[in-house]
Amino acid sequence: MTALWLLPFAGIWMTSSAGPATMDLPAPQGSMLVAADMELERALTMQLPDQPKPYYVAYEFLDGDVATATARSGVLDSFNHAPYRSVRVEVRVGGYELDNTRYDGDFGERAGVSMRTLPDDAFPAVALRREIWLATDEAYKGAAEQFSGKAAAREGRPPPEDPIPSFQKIDPVTTVALNAEPVDGDATLARARSLSASLKGIKGLENAEAIARDWTGTRLLVTSEGTRAWLPTGFSVVRVEGIVRTEDGTRLRDCRWWVARTPAELPPLDTMVAEVESMARALEAASQAPAERDYLGPVIFEGAASVELFRQLLPAEISGTPPPERAPDPYSEVDTAPVPTARVGRRLLPEGWTVVDDPANAEGTAGFYLRDFEGIEAQPVRLVEDGVLKDVLMSRVPRAGTDGSTGHGRGLGMDAREAMPGAVSVRPARVMAPKQLRKRALTLARQADLPYVLVVRRIEPPALAEDFEIAFTGDGPLAGLTRPLEIVRLYRDGHEEAIQPTLGFVGVDRRVLRDIAGASAADDWVGVLDAPNGPQRFSIGAVGGLPAAWSVPSVVITELELRSLGGSQPRTLPAPDE
Amino acid sequence: MASAQQGADPLLESMVAEVDRTMSVLAAEATPPYWLAVGVVDEHSWQVSATHGAASRPSTDHRRYGDIDLRVGSWALDNTHKIRDGGWFDSPERYSIRLPLEDDPTLLRHAIWLAMDDTYRAAVRRLIKVRTNNAVKVAREDSSADFSEAPPIVDIQSLQPLEFDPDPWLALVRDTSGRFLDYKHVHDSNVTLQVEDQIQYLVTTDGTRLRHQRYRIRLAVWASTTADDGQVLEVYDYVDTARIDTIPDEAAVRAMVDGVARRVTELRAAPVVDPFIGPAILRGRAAAVFFHEILGHRAEGHRQKDEDEGQTLTDMVGQEIFPAFISVHDDPTLEQWGDIDLNGYYPYDDEGVKSERVTIIEDGILNGFLMSRAPIEGTDHSNGHGRRQPGAAVVARQGNLIVSAEGGVPYPELREQLIERVRVEDKPFGLIFDDISGGFTLTGRGTPNSYAVQPVTVWRVWPDGRPDELVRGVDLIGTPLITFGRIVNASDTTDVFNGMCGAESGWVPVSGIAPDLLISEVEVQRREKNNDRPPLLPPPMPTPLRLEKGGTP
Repeated sequence: MTALWLLPFAGIWMTSSAGPATMDLPAPQGSMLVAADMELERALTMQLPDQPKPYYVAYEFLDGDVATATARSGVLDSFNHAPYRSVRVEVRVGGYELDNTRYDGDFGERAGVSMRTLPDDAFPAVALRREIWLATDEAYKGAAEQFSGKAAAREGRPPPEDPIPSFQKIDPVTTVALNAEPVDGDATLARARSLSASLKGIKGLENAEAIARDWTGTRLLVTSEGTRAWLPTGFSVVRVEGIVRTEDGTRLRDCRWWVARTPAELPPLDTMVAEVESMARALEAASQAPAERDYLGPVIFEGAASVELFRQLLPAEISGTPPPERAPDPYSEVDTAPVPTARVGRRLLPEGWTVVDDPANAEGTAGFYLRDFEGIEAQPVRLVEDGVLKDVLMSRVPRAGTDGSTGHGRGLGMDAREAMPGAVSVRPARVMAPKQLRKRALTLARQADLPYVLVVRRIEPPALAEDFEIAFTGDGPLAGLTRPLEIVRLYRDGHEEAIQPTLGFVGVDRRVLRDIAGASAADDWVGVLDAPNGPQRFSIGAVGGLPAAWSVPSVVITELELRSLGGSQPRTLPAPDE
Repeated sequence: MASAQQGADPLLESMVAEVDRTMSVLAAEATPPYWLAVGVVDEHSWQVSATHGAASRPSTDHRRYGDIDLRVGSWALDNTHKIRDGGWFDSPERYSIRLPLEDDPTLLRHAIWLAMDDTYRAAVRRLIKVRTNNAVKVAREDSSADFSEAPPIVDIQSLQPLEFDPDPWLALVRDTSGRFLDYKHVHDSNVTLQVEDQIQYLVTTDGTRLRHQRYRIRLAVWASTTADDGQVLEVYDYVDTARIDTIPDEAAVRAMVDGVARRVTELRAAPVVDPFIGPAILRGRAAAVFFHEILGHRAEGHRQKDEDEGQTLTDMVGQEIFPAFISVHDDPTLEQWGDIDLNGYYPYDDEGVKSERVTIIEDGILNGFLMSRAPIEGTDHSNGHGRRQPGAAVVARQGNLIVSAEGGVPYPELREQLIERVRVEDKPFGLIFDDISGGFTLTGRGTPNSYAVQPVTVWRVWPDGRPDELVRGVDLIGTPLITFGRIVNASDTTDVFNGMCGAESGWVPVSGIAPDLLISEVEVQRREKNNDRPPLLPPPMPTPLRLEKGGTP
């Protein structure tokens, strides 16, 4: 079928935005609060015929300034610098014990959340009220439909043995207004240029790209419970990617990234440049290196690779927000009850290991914050003790056996605010010196009759994954580990040999963490961008997501399988400068 | 307006260098390219918008994006040939070029090279499949070649970079958008000014070297409401222009806002029309879209050789398909119609062919088709209608479709003729389609060949002299061949529709120009509608407590 449209609307040539100059942020707080208060009062009176009124309404304003720059080999590719203002409206119907949320309806069914972009002018307040009014109306209608969907899904099913409330009731939170510093867009741009330029001169280089984003602002939460919380928000992120094609056509890729709360907390530019130059050397070495076909044996995860290992495999096990209910499948006898996750009492790590998440005491790291998106103070949580899961991170969505939110409720856009890691430290029972760790790995290799052990130094972050194999292993929503970007062989005599990072992990899930056979002292904090557990962790884009930080040791795992991913092709046409 | 930018153009030079190098290097391959083109669009844009008296900061953007069109095989049969029964995913792979915004020749060439190599390898792979597909399938109904030669053109136009200052426009959109607050039934609205400075480059192995520039400016006013039956009603008024000095001034925008707000308010109270067959007038803009859909798309050359297409007109050249007083041309060479800038103007198409005025219908008789460089039986060359949105493959598209009617009458007389038809045919009323929001048509064999035009403003005209009544909730539908013969008269004035048209090769700017048309019989069907209740609470309105700048809550 060929469908042709002739439309006068401007959508097709509307472009998103940008202004190269540094901009002053508006001072809209007063206007936002006045508008929110006026609309909140009205919102609580809404009622559809024979339907419940809202029992909870929340307005979450984001008011900030964002600059994003992309450069390749030192030359500007794109640059946007613009203010950003939006309101996210959440309406709940029913009551704290049972409301519309935590229910995934059929495709296309609405929920009680709506978002609208706001104008940058602070006045007149009625302009903001109009946007809030429209979003609230849509959210309420969605909430009513979602509530009926949830009730219908429960109809005929046995009632839960231990019903858990839908939402935790809290006392109102009041914090003082904040002013965020505007972003220095020129600095963002300069960072992208400098770092991408640091990758010049490698043979076979196809892409030397840096993306930098600085985002700073305020999150204002206004709820019908009386909360008036002004929360700082923002992050700075830099991603650098290099792609090299070898003479036989193999495509090699490596990345470096830094995430911080503010540009000032990023490493000095010289340090980042040096790191990118080391990446260039690693890429060059890999392009001359042999390829590994398949490998089954012990693997050492060092530094940044170890961070990825833990941050990819642990969040589902430590985030306590229960999965949403689902509508029954009318064509299947299979129960659609959600698979429980984060089961307290389960062994996650070897004996003696501990895992703690404490965002409020992680100042200077990307994971630092004092209150979560629901206005709750971030609390330290001892998640794992002696290797066993003892507690979980919580938002205001309760679960059996917990005492309420731990101040870890965050989420992206219209997504629910769910528990997600903030600043996680993973500590082994016994710390090995790096030399001991390698010795331990080589012992395991010898037992497996291998002449060397693989050392993984870097794994691609999920959001940058180009090919990701998802392994369904039985009791987790998603499992797997993205591909390595830097690997070396460590031989018994201690020498190292780079290999091409053309391997992918096979069948990895959180259970491999039980097979950690040794660990070094924990490294420094590493900032990451992430999202609550779920597919969105893999789709946040190169510079999207929410900041978090991990501090983990390098580890050796007794046995992992890696297989060649293959699939490369040589260029037919030589590069212009060859 | 800045002074003309002349002298060296590293982007153009990089394009030429890579085209030449590619042809030279790949000449040694077993399957060398026989034709190659690199096209680039360099676009600066600005946007200023406001809603209900509050503006957003002006935004600006700069992008450079490009396309590579590379052909292997021969002019007669190449990699772009349609793979018959190939399913949904048989279209040739395309690799867009992301180009740096700065004129670094090394990086410009590097970016072109990466896409070039990917494109070449994909072309070679596809040619293998094309040849086998041709062997497996029966002979094609249209045995014309896949591509035609075109004379080289070198036209490097001087550039006038647009230095647009959006700040002065902020006050205009802010102040005018605030007027919507005076209309309590307008739920959502905005006033937006968008400005684009677009430079197009094309380098081909024909020897063509093109660089030309166009400003595209739209000032738009939009408002919406929800009727009690759940139908969301939107009214959109806009002015497209290619000159800063013809952007509507504040008084004009104020009038547009008031007009849109009043029309939205009136539509909310307007009755819904039941499905109906009867006589109607399509006012000029509606008639222009009507012709764009029922005729224009069916006159696009590639549809005449694609065996999945309905090919309504393929074998009708020389036949009278419209009343003899109707003629239709497509003329992309026209920059203006009267004092209105035309969206569908372009000097050269996206295959490097100079745009030409094409007669599609002459005195009711089908004369020919809009052609890209893909020949069809009976027409072996392009007439400059190969167009695309960057990223898509070129096909034949419309530019400025102009409908003319011999012996048109003044509009009041046409209206009388409508009323007379209503009386004679004993119909309860006739319809006047005053303004439209868009339309679409289905041209394939797998679906009924039909069209729909989506009006915003429809008037019910009574035969007994009652005032015309605004109605809503209907779309104008039909099938093309029957409709062609039902045009019975036209007015002696024309109107212009400027818009964007989306089809296989993406979205391209187009214009339609037509007189008011009297149609003996049209069919309308109920329009798809939303079903949400209108907002439960009344809209917030300005209050005496309104905070002013500098105030504190």
